[in-house]
Amino acid sequence: MRYALRVVRYALRVVRYAFQFIFHFSTSHWYIFIEIIVFIVLATHMQEEKLWLLISLKLSGEASAEEMDELHNLLQDHPDIGLKLDILENIWKEKHAGFLEGKGDAFDRHFQRLSNHLSDPVLQYETDDSTAGIKPVDDISGPRKKYGWWILSAAAAAAVISLFVFFYKGTADTKKTDHETAQNTVSTKPGSKSKIQLPDGTQVWLNADSKIIYNENFLGNVREVQLTGEAYFDVVKDKSRPFIIHTHSIDLKVLGTAFNVRSYENEKNTETSLIRGSIEVTLKNNPDKKIVLKPNEKLLVHNDDFSLVPHESSARKKDEEVPMMILSKVHFQEKDSVATETLWVKNKLAFDEESLENAALKIERWYDVKVIITDDKLKKVQYHGTFDDESLQQVLEALSTSTNSFKYTINRKEVIIKPL
Amino acid sequence: MNQTASIQDLQREIALYENMKAYRALYDILSDSLHRFSYAFVESNEAAEEIVSDVFVKLWQIRNRLIEVENLKEYLYIVTKNFSLNYIAKNYRNPVVSLDDIDIEAVIEIRSPEDLCISADLIKKIKQTIQELSPKCRIIFQLVKEENLKYKEVAAILNISVFTVRNQVAIATKKIGEILPAYLRPEAVREKGFGA
Repeated sequence: MRYALRVVRYALRVVRYAFQFIFHFSTSHWYIFIEIIVFIVLATHMQEEKLWLLISLKLSGEASAEEMDELHNLLQDHPDIGLKLDILENIWKEKHAGFLEGKGDAFDRHFQRLSNHLSDPVLQYETDDSTAGIKPVDDISGPRKKYGWWILSAAAAAAVISLFVFFYKGTADTKKTDHETAQNTVSTKPGSKSKIQLPDGTQVWLNADSKIIYNENFLGNVREVQLTGEAYFDVVKDKSRPFIIHTHSIDLKVLGTAFNVRSYENEKNTETSLIRGSIEVTLKNNPDKKIVLKPNEKLLVHNDDFSLVPHESSARKKDEEVPMMILSKVHFQEKDSVATETLWVKNKLAFDEESLENAALKIERWYDVKVIITDDKLKKVQYHGTFDDESLQQVLEALSTSTNSFKYTINRKEVIIKPL
Repeated sequence: MNQTASIQDLQREIALYENMKAYRALYDILSDSLHRFSYAFVESNEAAEEIVSDVFVKLWQIRNRLIEVENLKEYLYIVTKNFSLNYIAKNYRNPVVSLDDIDIEAVIEIRSPEDLCISADLIKKIKQTIQELSPKCRIIFQLVKEENLKYKEVAAILNISVFTVRNQVAIATKKIGEILPAYLRPEAVREKGFGA
């Protein structure tokens, strides 16, 4: 509205200049009279335009609170338009019912086309019984692709049969585990990451090649999830319902915190880094031992034989005699408020004084490649560094030049690292 | 139910687990809207159905990369638009340069709400008014009114600015609003020809 008035004022100034130019005098009664008339006409017009704009915004659900207020005020001056608004609102509510009388038929026709398009069709997809009802019907072949009809119907028949097999197998399986309610699984492939929100609002960042499973009854007395791979949790606080994370070597019990868990089965250690709050760690094979982590502490548990051996961080150098469990501090990057352990959440690939062997595992998951290191001594070389959205080649180049100890070749999805 | 949230869930199910049930559910949620959208361009039910089917075939083909799609609903509308324009170009041999170059047979439901009993004449007049809007205005109006899309989504789908969407919807609303009777006496409405 303010904008509209400014336009009006500007227009008036132009009009005034025009009059001044023509009649060469600056004040006169009739000139002011004309000015007032022009102002009223323009203002009414602008106001009406504004009113329709506000009405359209309200109808589309795009009006802000201020615009709603403005509309309300304007309507008081225009009760007639208020009535029109009621009619418009009712018209707006009526929606088109759709062209398709039987939606199921349309989907069946679509499904048929889909199977025609794909070389590896329906057979392996699980589905419910409504889609299992797809049969080869006469009217679907249409003018296109008459020649393949018999093959198609045979394939469709086979599809129907196998769908039923799947369906029955599926129900049998769920019956067997009836006491366990349905599970939700979210997983990421190598080379990709994902962020999810659990039903209680807890945020989980899932790193590459990882999986998180939670039950349908997640919102019960305990919030329980199963994790393989690496994830960063920001758990919503709820003292009455603890949040428990199961990994293959440890269980973590928390109330409301943010922390990172790294538990890949092909790595030597399971690593827990606490950012804030507190967590209680229980070892799978030694449930009596409980460790409570404080903020910025990090716990490493050896995966093969996960028992409790507290140790100083100096022991990390000797890889052969790795302790079963290490408690240390979370590492912070200089000039960076984010802990190295959680940099992946920010899409940064970080190596924190890690052996090349370990770094290679990270690279494999990050870039979805296979890394082969031909020399055992090379595997033990330590690396430290952070990469922000850099390509596989850039990372390898940086690593190889920093120590000057290896050369690499990239062959499609395979990386070979050799000593110089 | 929050439709956008559930489309996101279905998108993930399809992308990560190739879940056919989710695929079907997504089809059920969006096929009508996409059909109407395509129909506005191609003006044929058979063609629109085939185009929507093609869109969902494409969706299945790219299911592994689906997680990268930020707004799936918007994306599917855009694919539908492109397929529809391709269809027009192929069948009428004149490539579409701008939205104003083609006739849009907008699918906009105007029915008399029962509690208002607007006369048949008035409904006819409203439909005629819509027909007199510019093609661009009509398709924008369809997407906003029938499909409840946000201005931002409509702008992205039609590749125009949000400002244009806002203006065009205001124009359509004003044009329709102006032919509505200023006040509505029930007895006058029941006698035919009130709106004429």
